[in-house]
Order: sequence, then structure tokens, then C-alpha cells
Amino acid sequence: MENRIALSNEQITNDLLPQKFGKRGMIWTGILVVICLIGAYAYYRQLRYGLVVTHMRDYVSWGIYISNFVFFVAISLVGSLITAIFRLANVKWSTPLTRIAEIIAVSAIVFASLIIIVDMGRPERFMNLFIHGRIQSPIMWDVIVIGTYFFISCLLLYFPLLPDLKILIRFKEKSGKGLNKLYRFQGSFWKGTKEQFRLSDKSINILCIIIIPVAFCIHTVTSWLFATTYRPGWDSTNFGAYFISGAFLVGAGGVVVAMYIFRRVYHLEKYITEKHFEKMGRIVVLLALLYLYFNVNEYLIPAFKMKKPEEAHLTQLFTGEYAPLFWFAILVGMIIPIIILLFKKGRKPLPMFIAGVMVVIGAWFKRYLIVTPTLLHPFLPMQNVPESYHHYFPSWEEWAIAMGSLAGALLIITFFARIYPIIPIHETITEQHEEAENK
Amino acid sequence: MKKLKINRYLLLLSVLITTFAINVIAQETPVEQKEIVKLHYFNSNNNLQYLLLESILKTGKKIEPQTNKVFMLFLDKNQPDNLIAKVLTDKNGKAKAIIPPQLKTLWDSSSQHTFILVAEATGKKEETSSEFTITKSKVSIDTSTADGIKNITVQVMKYENSQWIPVKDVEMKIGVERLGGILSAGDEQTYTTDSTGTATSEFKKDSLPGDQQGSFILIAKVEDNDELGNLIIEKRVPWGVAKKPDNNFFSQRTLWSTRFRTPIWLLFMAYSIVIGVWGTIIFLVFQIVKIKKLGVSN
Repeated sequence: MENRIALSNEQITNDLLPQKFGKRGMIWTGILVVICLIGAYAYYRQLRYGLVVTHMRDYVSWGIYISNFVFFVAISLVGSLITAIFRLANVKWSTPLTRIAEIIAVSAIVFASLIIIVDMGRPERFMNLFIHGRIQSPIMWDVIVIGTYFFISCLLLYFPLLPDLKILIRFKEKSGKGLNKLYRFQGSFWKGTKEQFRLSDKSINILCIIIIPVAFCIHTVTSWLFATTYRPGWDSTNFGAYFISGAFLVGAGGVVVAMYIFRRVYHLEKYITEKHFEKMGRIVVLLALLYLYFNVNEYLIPAFKMKKPEEAHLTQLFTGEYAPLFWFAILVGMIIPIIILLFKKGRKPLPMFIAGVMVVIGAWFKRYLIVTPTLLHPFLPMQNVPESYHHYFPSWEEWAIAMGSLAGALLIITFFARIYPIIPIHETITEQHEEAENK
Repeated sequence: MKKLKINRYLLLLSVLITTFAINVIAQETPVEQKEIVKLHYFNSNNNLQYLLLESILKTGKKIEPQTNKVFMLFLDKNQPDNLIAKVLTDKNGKAKAIIPPQLKTLWDSSSQHTFILVAEATGKKEETSSEFTITKSKVSIDTSTADGIKNITVQVMKYENSQWIPVKDVEMKIGVERLGGILSAGDEQTYTTDSTGTATSEFKKDSLPGDQQGSFILIAKVEDNDELGNLIIEKRVPWGVAKKPDNNFFSQRTLWSTRFRTPIWLLFMAYSIVIGVWGTIIFLVFQIVKIKKLGVSN
């Protein structure tokens, strides 16, 4: 951060203003759009022919869609970690990462909501959930808390954006007419007066306080969707904490990946420095160790007891059909990143990026393992059902929709970075002044 | 020392070989298979006489029910006219046969009867038969109350020389029919009949839950008596505590009720949280309006 002191306000502004897509940006966006369109076509087929196009049947009624939903909810928690917790703890170095974390949170929560609707056989009956909803049902709590978290995340993205909008409006030539209109609509009233800053800071502080319990609720309630069901692998009192620790890990991993890419693509080396990677690396190690600890609790203790109804489920995870995936998720999602990031050299940008990618991929498969194998092991034996009911592997429509949703989330982040500064300009300038004054 | 070590290993090796050899020899010995068939006679409330057959297959130390095995049951003589039933054992190796009305004349003609069990020849197994004799009997149950003490009297009689005579030394259970079996009416687990064929038990189980009218069934049961078989007699008595049905169950506010019967505490908690959080969100939106107003006025 000390290398930022030499930078002038103009240079910071110029560096951090949103940039037009280059050739690589266009290709990247094009690929994402194509994946989204394939997903949309698969969803059209699902709407037309029904959920029968998926490979979900009577037993595995929550397949890749719900795994994806849990993944999105998990990764969205990073907004509260980087923005709220660090802000309340007065951690200054996280400033360049706050907006990255917040946009990851917003895009993830949008697609978490959408993927739930995709999982519904009759989406036109979605409103029935509210009309005939029972407040006793954890699903109802989930719907409420997801909506709430989305609004809070949007507000947390919007308030710190206001001073930057004033700067963006100033650079009309660079942003173009259309975007300038958007900036004006969103923030032309921001004059940067003392009173406006006071109100904005107060609002951000309130948001930071309120988002933490809501974020904990969102993932705890998601875990309760499983834990309130009496099934092998889900029947745990530890599920809330287990899910939250996993969510923070995947979120932090996601931020690491995003900060590396933004740093390289937009040449932000002066703002997202090696120190940021170093500190994020330490956080990821801590979170990975924490998540590993919960995994040991979740799998080792039931395996020690090996209760008869849980035996088939655990054996299939440890040595059976799901063993390669299970050990992949444990090794790639936790153990290898811990080993990489424990060393100082491992906390350099490129190894950090690799570790971050591993954490995110491992986390996605981990969600799949939480959802599917349990459903294949009900307490009552599966009898007189077609052979296909005994196994589950997603159909191409399910893969296409799931990948489409992931691409959609990335597309939101991409467009956001195209329209708004991915690192807060005003906050960076202010912090630089404060640092200079303190010296 | 080295020699001693080698000797020790040789000894261990020879023990292992011997154990293995014994094991192999033991495995080669053909396992004896034994068929065990038990026949029980039941007389329920003096009006239903039936037979219960239980077939077991013992292979070495392993015991398992013999399923789908055909047996024929005859009364007194192994001839078609005396056939009680041709039965097939179920998955538990059991089969039941009621003495049919057409054998009533034969049944009434004698005080003692022999049940002949014939197992049909299957595969290598030849036809086998066995017999089981019982004396016709009846059992009665009566209740009386004296000085607030309730008594249950059970009498067992057998048919002999064209008349019913009391049976001495018959062991039985006297109690109340419960879900898991018979709850003994008094302090003893079993009672034995005296020279008058009577066994009496004082009813000591007060405040026992009954049905909606406060009734329950008293039961006396003679089990596997060599001469009489199994005898059961029942009597409904209003000695219990009337059970009031809980019609309120579905109108309770519970976590599994409909949305109209949500527990108050849950409603309170859920609405408090929703109002609290959304109140704050509305407050923050109002802050944006305030910021906007400040900007416009400037």
C-alpha cells in the first residue's frame, strides 16, 4: 500500500475508471453469453417437457440444481466477510477488495434465487409459496432471508458507490452517453457535502452490522433445509457452523480468484498488491483449516460409530462410488490449498490464484456431495423402483442450466466491472490522503 | 538362543498347519440337516379350535424357518375323510388350520383326539408323519367383588367319560390383555388350578387405562399343556380408567400444523426478525431519499 502514496488523484482516477472491453474481454463475454444461451435453451426444454428431462427421480429429488444453489449461497457470504467484518474490525487493507466481494455476493445471490425457481417443476406456481406458505417451514425462512440478503447486499454495493458515481459523471467522454445517463440517474444528487457523507457513512455502518447476522442466517437456514430432515449425512446439529465455515472459505477463494484476474486484466498491480495476496492467503488458510476441522467432525465421528443406517452412505463416500469425488473435494478443496498457502512463496499472486481456483472447484463438488449421496441412501430400502432410481448423474440439460447459471453470475460481475470501478476510487484517494497525513 | 528362536517358529508353524488342517477337515464333514415340526392345539374362548404348525430347518448350528412346505393334518386317522387341512408354511415357517365343521360329528364323538401330521414327500425326502394327542377341554372365567376386592376365578374342565370334570395342577396366566402381552392381574406371574379345577387371582392393578368406556379385557391363558394344549378365555370388564380421546390434537399450534396454526412463539420470533431487519432496510432507503434531497437543495 505504501507504493500508492506517490500516486496522484488523477492517476488513481484514471487507473480505476471502468475500461471498455478489449479483444479478450469480448471473447470472454461472448463465451459466457453462449453458455448462458445453452442454459436458457435447456431450461426451455425443461419447461416444455417437464422435470423428466432431468435425471432427478423419486429418491434424488435434489440434484445438481440444489448443489448449485448451496454453492451460490455459500459464495455470497463473502460480501459480509470482506466488507462488513473487516470494516467493523477497522481493517484498512481490504478497501480495494470490498467492491469485488460485494459484486460476487450480489451476483451469487441473484442466481441462488433463480436456480431455486429452476428446480421447481411448475415455476408459474412460485407465488403459491407466499400465498400458501407456512412460516414453520425452513424453505419459507430461506426464501425470506435470501430476499433480505439480496436487498442488503445491493444497498451495501450502492452506498459506497455514490461518491464514485460523482467522479464517473465527470468523465462523460470516457464513459459515453448511455453510461453517463445511468450514472446520472443513480447518483447525480451526490454533491459530496459533509452531511451527505455523514448520512452515507452512518448507513454503511448500519448495513455492515445488519448484514452479518443476516449472512449467518442465510447459510444457517440453508443448512437447516438439510439438517431438519432425518437422513444419513444430514442429521447433524453442527450443520449451521459447518456450512458457514465452508461458505467463508469458498467466498474468500472466489475473491482471491477475482482479485488476481482483475489485477491482471485491468493492470491494478498498484492497488491490489502482493500484500493483499499475502493477507488474503493467511485468511484462506485459516478458513480452510476451520472447514477441515468441521469436515473431520462431520465425517469422522459418524464413521467411528458407523451406525447401521449411515454405514452405506459413509462407505460409498469413503471407498465406494463417490470416493474419487469425495477425496478430490477434500484434497483439492482444502488440504492442497492449505499446503500451498502455508508457505510464504505460496501466498504470491499466481500460486494464490491456483489455490483459489482449487478451493472454488473443490467447494462446488463438496456441495454436490452433501446433497446427492444422502438422497441415494434413505432409511427405508429402495424397493420395486426402476433401476434408474438407484443412481443419479445429471442430464445434459441439468449440466447446461447449472453451467449457464455459473456463467450468468460471472456475466453480472463482468458487466459490473465494465460499468463501475471495481476498486472504490473515492475511498482509495481518501485513504491515500489519510496515510500521507499520518506519516 | 538362535536355535531356540528357530524351534519357536517351527512350533508356531506346526500349530498353524494343525489348525488349518482341522478347519479343512471340519469343512469337509457333511453338515447334518434336521427338520423340526411343532404342532400346537388352540382352543380360543371354547368356540374356536385350531392348530398352529411351526416348521424349522436346523442345519448344523443354524436354525431357519422352513418356508413353502406342504403338510397335511388329519383328525384321529390318516385317511381322506379325516383331513383337517392341507397347509403351506409361510415365510416364518408357520401354518394355521381351523378344524372344519364337517368334522364336528367326529370331534364330538370322543373325549380325546389325535392330530396326525403328514409331511409330503419332496425331492429326496420321503413322506413323514407324526402324531399329537389332546383331551377335549374348556375353560371359564368369572369375576366377583367382595369388600372392594376384585377377584378373577378361572376354571378348567376336561371331557372324560361323557362328562366335564375339573382338571388339577394346570398352570396358567391370569391378567389383562395389553399391547405387549398379558399383564398379570395379581402379584404372581402364573397360577395353578386346585382340585376343583379353579385358580383365583386378586385383581391388584388399579387405575389401569381402559378404552373410552373404561373397559379392558381380562384374559386367562394355558400355554402348551401336555394334555390340553393351549386354552384361552377372555372377558371384558369395566375396571379400567376411561380414556378420553384427544380431539384437540389437530387444532394445536405446532411446527407440523397448517399455516393457520403456527405456534405463537414462532410467529413472534419470525415477525420480530422480519420487521426488525426490513424496518432497518426501509430506514436505509429513507436515508438515500434524504441524501438525494440534500443534493437537490444544494
